[in-house]
Amino acid sequence: MSAAALLEIADVVTAYGRIEALKGVSLNVAAGTITCLLGPNGAGKTTLMLTVAGILRPKRGAIRFDGASIAGWLPDRVVARGVALVPENRLVFAQMSVRDNLLAGAYLRKDREAIFTDLERMYQRFPRLRERAQQHAGTLSGGEQQMLAVARALMSRPRLLLMDEPSLGLAPLVVGDIFRIIAGLKAEGTTVFLVEQNARVALDVADRFYLMEQGRVSFQGTPGELAQDEVIRRAYLGSVRRPHSA
Amino acid sequence: MIDAVQNTLDGLMIGSSYALLALGFTLTFGVMRRLNLAYGATIMAGVYLGTWLFLEQDAGVATAGIAAVGGAILAGLYVERVCFAPLSERAALASMVSSFAIWMQLEEAAMLALPRHTYPFPALVSGEPLALGPLALRLEHLLMLGSAVAIGAGLYFVLQRTRFGRALRAITDNALAARLLGMGVGAMRMRAFALAAAVGGIAGLLIATTDQQVTPMLGMWATIKGLVAMMLGGLGSLRGAVAGGLLLGVVETHAQWYFGPQVRDLVAFLLLFACLAVRPSGLFGARGGGRHPPAGAAHG
Repeated sequence: MSAAALLEIADVVTAYGRIEALKGVSLNVAAGTITCLLGPNGAGKTTLMLTVAGILRPKRGAIRFDGASIAGWLPDRVVARGVALVPENRLVFAQMSVRDNLLAGAYLRKDREAIFTDLERMYQRFPRLRERAQQHAGTLSGGEQQMLAVARALMSRPRLLLMDEPSLGLAPLVVGDIFRIIAGLKAEGTTVFLVEQNARVALDVADRFYLMEQGRVSFQGTPGELAQDEVIRRAYLGSVRRPHSA
Repeated sequence: MIDAVQNTLDGLMIGSSYALLALGFTLTFGVMRRLNLAYGATIMAGVYLGTWLFLEQDAGVATAGIAAVGGAILAGLYVERVCFAPLSERAALASMVSSFAIWMQLEEAAMLALPRHTYPFPALVSGEPLALGPLALRLEHLLMLGSAVAIGAGLYFVLQRTRFGRALRAITDNALAARLLGMGVGAMRMRAFALAAAVGGIAGLLIATTDQQVTPMLGMWATIKGLVAMMLGGLGSLRGAVAGGLLLGVVETHAQWYFGPQVRDLVAFLLLFACLAVRPSGLFGARGGGRHPPAGAAHG
């Protein structure tokens, strides 16, 4: 729909064995925006992220990033093309130093000097990471680990940053920090596509949102279009009212 | 007192070869989370290749030594291709059992090439033991210790300071996160296997040249020593592998001195039992067991 869609997903089906977790998902992420994917647990949000990142291979459908058809590409090609995923639960390398985590993020890059310039930029942006550069990442707090996971992904210089549940398990104050970082990334021109359970915070920064239920996009819009409470209700509970949900 | 010091020194030097075996084990176990029972057999295959060249083809000592390490690398890659590459990370048992089959296969192949039970292996160094006051240090043991220290330092440098080492550690730490950064787990696994087999091959070479003989039992022997040392130190920990190897060497030497050679292995297994009972994660293992999120399945 948007003329400047950086990521276009059309009718994507991804299955675990015979069970289709994505049953034909279509959505667009416009360049320079924050797009948010909401939905209850088990809707297929993480599956979609892993499919775009190349970890899972879609059974059908098209994924286009910046003009290239990336469906079925292996992760290294996807990363090299400019897509990075900050995974659910952050998955920092716990036994490695903060610095080595960041350098691992630049694994595919060959421009040695620019890598160290970027490392310095990450330290400037996240001073806590500089303080803890030599510490094992496993010793960081949840919020610091999330910052590290974001910084690690940024070390590959992505044009599209995918984020899976960045606020998961973080204190409200820290969640605020993380979303300020996300807003900052957008200001710098990085396109962000994020999955989030915390709909209230996500809708504050999102330009556009999609609602996923049972492997399909059930609703989409801009945060202003619909009463926020209605979106949130559906994001948490699904659109079908269950007998016991309030 | 002198005896105790002498035993400890001998134990450390023998233990340094165990440490190398355990390092090789740890390198592959860390990357794959699967047990390679054919590890010792790949080392034996390399050493047998060297022996065969030396005895039957009139190769020099240096050629035999290089062939032993090279042969171990080739055998290691063969095991990786046959037992690990085609099987999923979640089929850990299938990989283990197939690696057992390859172990038997390599052992049979070695016995076909050199059918006698023992063969002589050339010494790399010869001379009187180095006297250090009342202590005596065998030159082969010094060579073993020196090589082990050099290889340990080299490995440390590779793992800590190079792009390859960082990727290897990243995959060991969290395979899914590593793949998301574009690291090719399959290619890295092959390189880890080659590296581990090279380390093991050097250890096998040092052991064979110290004993000055080889038997097909070298494979089982290396697997057991490496496994025990790795488990003592803690699965997946490189520091632990070194510590476990040295500890095993010292305890074995003391046991042999006080109770005789028959008791040597008994004491080693007793030590492992005690360690697993008191501290199941080993000396340097992650407490409470490792947390290993699934590596993501579908392809790659």
